[in-house]
Amino acid sequence: MTFDIASPPRQGGEARYDPAGDMTDSTGLLEVRDLAVHFHSAEGTFKAVDGVSLTIRKGETLGIVGESGCGKSVTALAVMGLIPRPPGEIAAGQILFEGEDLARKSASELRQIRGNRISMIFQEPMTSLNPVHTVGDQIAEGIMLHQKVGKAEARMRAVEMLKLVRIPAPERRIDDYPHQLSGGMRQRVMIAIALACQPRLLIADEPTTALDVTIQAQILELMRDLRDRTGTAIMMITHDLGVIAELAHRVVVMYSGRVAEEASVADLFNDPQHPYTLGLLGSIPKLHVEEERLATIEGTVPNPYSMPTGCRFNPRCPFAIERCRVEAPPLREVRPGHRSACWRAPLEEHVL
Amino acid sequence: MLLIGFLLLQVVPTDPATVLAGPTATPAEVQALRESMGLDKPVWLQFVLYLGRVLQFDLGRSMISNTAVIEEIGNTIGPTIELMLASLVWAVPLGILLGTLAAVRRGQLLDRVIMAFSVAGVSMPIFWFGLILIQYVGTALELLPFQGRGGPLWSLDGLRHIVLPAVTLGGVFVGPVARMTRTALLDVLGADYVRTARAKGVAEGSVVMHHALRNAMIPIVTLVGLQIGFLLGGAVVTETMFAWPGVGRMAVGAITSADFPLAQGAILILAVSFIAINILVDVLYAMLDPRIARR
Ligand SMILES: Nc1ncnc2c1ncn2[C@@H]1O[C@H](COP(=O)(O)OP(=O)(O)OP(=O)(O)O)[C@@H](O)[C@H]1O
Ligand SMILES: [Mg+2]
Repeated sequence: MTFDIASPPRQGGEARYDPAGDMTDSTGLLEVRDLAVHFHSAEGTFKAVDGVSLTIRKGETLGIVGESGCGKSVTALAVMGLIPRPPGEIAAGQILFEGEDLARKSASELRQIRGNRISMIFQEPMTSLNPVHTVGDQIAEGIMLHQKVGKAEARMRAVEMLKLVRIPAPERRIDDYPHQLSGGMRQRVMIAIALACQPRLLIADEPTTALDVTIQAQILELMRDLRDRTGTAIMMITHDLGVIAELAHRVVVMYSGRVAEEASVADLFNDPQHPYTLGLLGSIPKLHVEEERLATIEGTVPNPYSMPTGCRFNPRCPFAIERCRVEAPPLREVRPGHRSACWRAPLEEHVL
Repeated sequence: MLLIGFLLLQVVPTDPATVLAGPTATPAEVQALRESMGLDKPVWLQFVLYLGRVLQFDLGRSMISNTAVIEEIGNTIGPTIELMLASLVWAVPLGILLGTLAAVRRGQLLDRVIMAFSVAGVSMPIFWFGLILIQYVGTALELLPFQGRGGPLWSLDGLRHIVLPAVTLGGVFVGPVARMTRTALLDVLGADYVRTARAKGVAEGSVVMHHALRNAMIPIVTLVGLQIGFLLGGAVVTETMFAWPGVGRMAVGAITSADFPLAQGAILILAVSFIAINILVDVLYAMLDPRIARR
């Protein structure tokens, strides 16, 4: 997958990426294995992520859903090597990216990967750009850093990137400061920064949550279009199952620092195999209509310092049996390509 | 400010006419002098008249030397500006450097040491610090002169003379600047755009300098600006202590000798410089923050 955004744009058109390489490639681009991230504080050790495994293949979009505090962002930050230390720590597990374990890499090795082969966009477009630097400088910074090009060249590419994310009059906008742009525009700039070095993996942590509904749709549309053109794999973190349905190929449902269920989008929506997912689907927000939070399930997220024994969902679970209260269920394959961490899966045996 | 300076001198229990007339004058002579100075008029009228003269740059004449106050100020303002600049030029960068180190090493030994020093610096009276310098560097070791101004700054003697006063006046400023820098930087280091910079793969040093400190400068400049009054007050003490021929020492001399026009003029000029410095801070602020510059 080579693409050259530095080449002059074709007349009036946008810079064009070559279409993605082999999207059906089944080798894992990112393989997270039994990742544990702990935060240490006076009250004790908080296991924000406690044994998460997931795989993203080349060019694939993996959705990650789960209610607030379940460890989605922490998982993403761990992949980026951005867990603040202290108080955080990658306590166990592997983060294999193109075969290399990021959890074992030094800070400077990680810096060469961050913003280059893996990049990230965040939920808060209003505050994620530096107010004292122009957007052009902020896009160019990463390009100069990772591609070892000069200022003029980087600036040219920054204009290309603005064009790519469909910001009108990019030659003028490049000298704007963030406060001169709307929220949607700023998120486009964030996407431009993230894609500037043609990453293999883009982590998008709730990229549309903070935006207006119409802008949300535009940004999602843009992301999908760019993904299809660049072949970048995406880890799409969201509360919004509508976004998952729109963009993702596969989904990982997280609950309380663990993976509850993993399946293709169709399987997850049509045949959920974890009671927690059932609950989520019961509260699916209509796409682009209104921002609704998922957590309309009875009960609350467990107290991090006194986790229930056995399955962490058992106090809220209508299907819970004695075993669920004693023994934590492993993630196991219920159907081909469909895994659930529930003793009672497949669930349809218990309903009706 | 003008009014406060004026009123302050009104409540001083000394009668300027008595002072001016001298100890041998008769009450009738004093009364005549008072009338000629306009001191028999109501206070508000005196103020209005004073204001009118100030607007014409007529600050009156010194009661003791009989030179025009404006001229006295002209002679002393240079050394004061010199002293202030010589103090700021090392104290502000050092304070910012220490504050940055403390913020980056937050909670570690270096942070604690720097903060302990800056607390000591903040709570240390300026005259005490100056006296220690005079005692050890000036008197005991005889390393540097501590009386007066040796000459223009570009001469070796001028430089040697300014060191101790500038260290004294700047010394009390390092601590506050370090504290403000640390607070502002810690605040900014948690900002989302700093995380964005790290996510780009920017090295930590550049994250701090290019992204965080550049933003932290905005509150730092504001806070430093707010401390300017403190610095002016410090200049008065420092100048007196080191016999530095500036406005501050002149003001103190004028007040102790009840030279009212001169004291009023000195207070006025200190007030004006306070305002001027604040305007300068605003300009700087606008330069640092594009959200203001572009408005
Ligand atoms: N720097 C930190 N120090 C201590 N605890 C942290 C830190 N960062 C995250 N956590 C904790 O880790 C847990 C998981 O947080 P995370 O941000 O991953 O949740 P999330 O799933 O992304 O939620 P949301 O949907 O609200 O973004 C939370 O309970 C949070 O309090
Ligand atoms: Mg999050």
